[in-house]
Amino acid sequence: MITKTFLGLLLPLVVVSTAVWAQAPGEVVKAKVTMAQGVARPDSIVKAAVEVEVLPGYHINDHHPTLDYLIPTEVKLDPIKEVTGKNIIYPKGELRKFAFSDTPLSVYEGKVQVEVALQLDRKALPGDYEVKGKLAYQACNDHACLPPTSVPLSFPFKVARHGD
Amino acid sequence: MDLNEPESSADGLQPQPSDPGASVTRSVSRGKLVMGAVLAIIVVGGLYLINRYWIKPALMTQANGGGEHPEAPAISLTDIEGKRLDLSDYKGKVVVLDFWATWCAPCREEIPGFVEMQEKYASQGFSVIGVSMDDEPGPVVEFYKEFKMNYPVAVGNPRIGELYGGILGLPTTFLIGRDGRIYAKHTGGVNPALIEEEVQQLLAMSPNAERIDFKPALLVGTTTKVELGDPAAIDSEIPGLNLTKLTAEQKDTLKKQLSEQHCPCGCNLTLLKCRQVDRACQISLKLAREQMEKILKSGAGG
Repeated sequence: MITKTFLGLLLPLVVVSTAVWAQAPGEVVKAKVTMAQGVARPDSIVKAAVEVEVLPGYHINDHHPTLDYLIPTEVKLDPIKEVTGKNIIYPKGELRKFAFSDTPLSVYEGKVQVEVALQLDRKALPGDYEVKGKLAYQACNDHACLPPTSVPLSFPFKVARHGD
Repeated sequence: MDLNEPESSADGLQPQPSDPGASVTRSVSRGKLVMGAVLAIIVVGGLYLINRYWIKPALMTQANGGGEHPEAPAISLTDIEGKRLDLSDYKGKVVVLDFWATWCAPCREEIPGFVEMQEKYASQGFSVIGVSMDDEPGPVVEFYKEFKMNYPVAVGNPRIGELYGGILGLPTTFLIGRDGRIYAKHTGGVNPALIEEEVQQLLAMSPNAERIDFKPALLVGTTTKVELGDPAAIDSEIPGLNLTKLTAEQKDTLKKQLSEQHCPCGCNLTLLKCRQVDRACQISLKLAREQMEKILKSGAGG
């Protein structure tokens, strides 16, 4: 009986201990670039997909967030002279309601994909190139928000000669 | 007569009067009852003592950080109205120190509650202090006006965040007593009524004595352990690394090694430079710490 009472008393303690919400430091978003083609010709378009994975329990803002003060998710690319233009297509966010807000927010959760298209200069010389960039985001869970941060991205590709 | 004879009724509470051994049985049963009562008292008393001296302090420890109330690290900033904001000037007052940002939805939700609290308790020796973790003051000034904030607000910096143990999630709210000690830390949005409950307890405390029976309004959820930063590591020439155990030669060796290694965080800098320009980078921090530990273990460079 004593043991049972004792265990009965300890159980809530164990539940309380494990229920304490903790927020681990470190990244909550992973991103990977997949190039549609490794070799391209001058004046053509190089396509790539940025696969984004958000840790369960967290979300990042839509590229077009619901509220103007929220920091959008964005793929930012460093310019190189061989790339004259870009087109980035973001997925549509999911409308979610959180404990901290009466307004549903448009967010990305789980796995999402951003499509990137790079326009190569018609004068681009043959060779290996890399466009560097980052996925900038600001993540929150249902209670708290993490500071804005980013994941580095790399878009490697090869420019082939016209006749190749 | 066999005293071990089984009793005629349950628990021996109703012995048969015709039984010649009934008085002995009754006396044995009474003895058992007394023993049972004594045992029950011991068990209840034991449980009370366990709760009083073990479970309750454990829960308090969890909420308050080691059962102690650490001194709140100094804050010296210029607030958004251009006035000096020194936490030391608030000694003798109860302070809600709120780390927040304009881009943080749960932070924004809490602020009207803090404005109300400021209005209600300022005359009793209370103040909210807002430390915004925004990069720039512009949006903070705008927000301050829009939300009619009636308490001092300043834009913070990473060093202050580190002194307060690293502000990993916003909002992070510290409750500071009249004695300048931290009594509770909440990470994440909290119901203002719970913060108010804690404020009321702290307002009732003597300005000269640590109130050890402070009871956090929340034991679970957002209440987190108070762990402050190490000033020797924060103000180090390699931010994040406490170099006090290293000899001058070891420090030079470490700096040389860190300036020769590339940081893999994507910054395109060396580990040393990354530490110096991006204090928040956990990748360079981890690698630099590992390097320092290696030097300390091997005794190299010294």
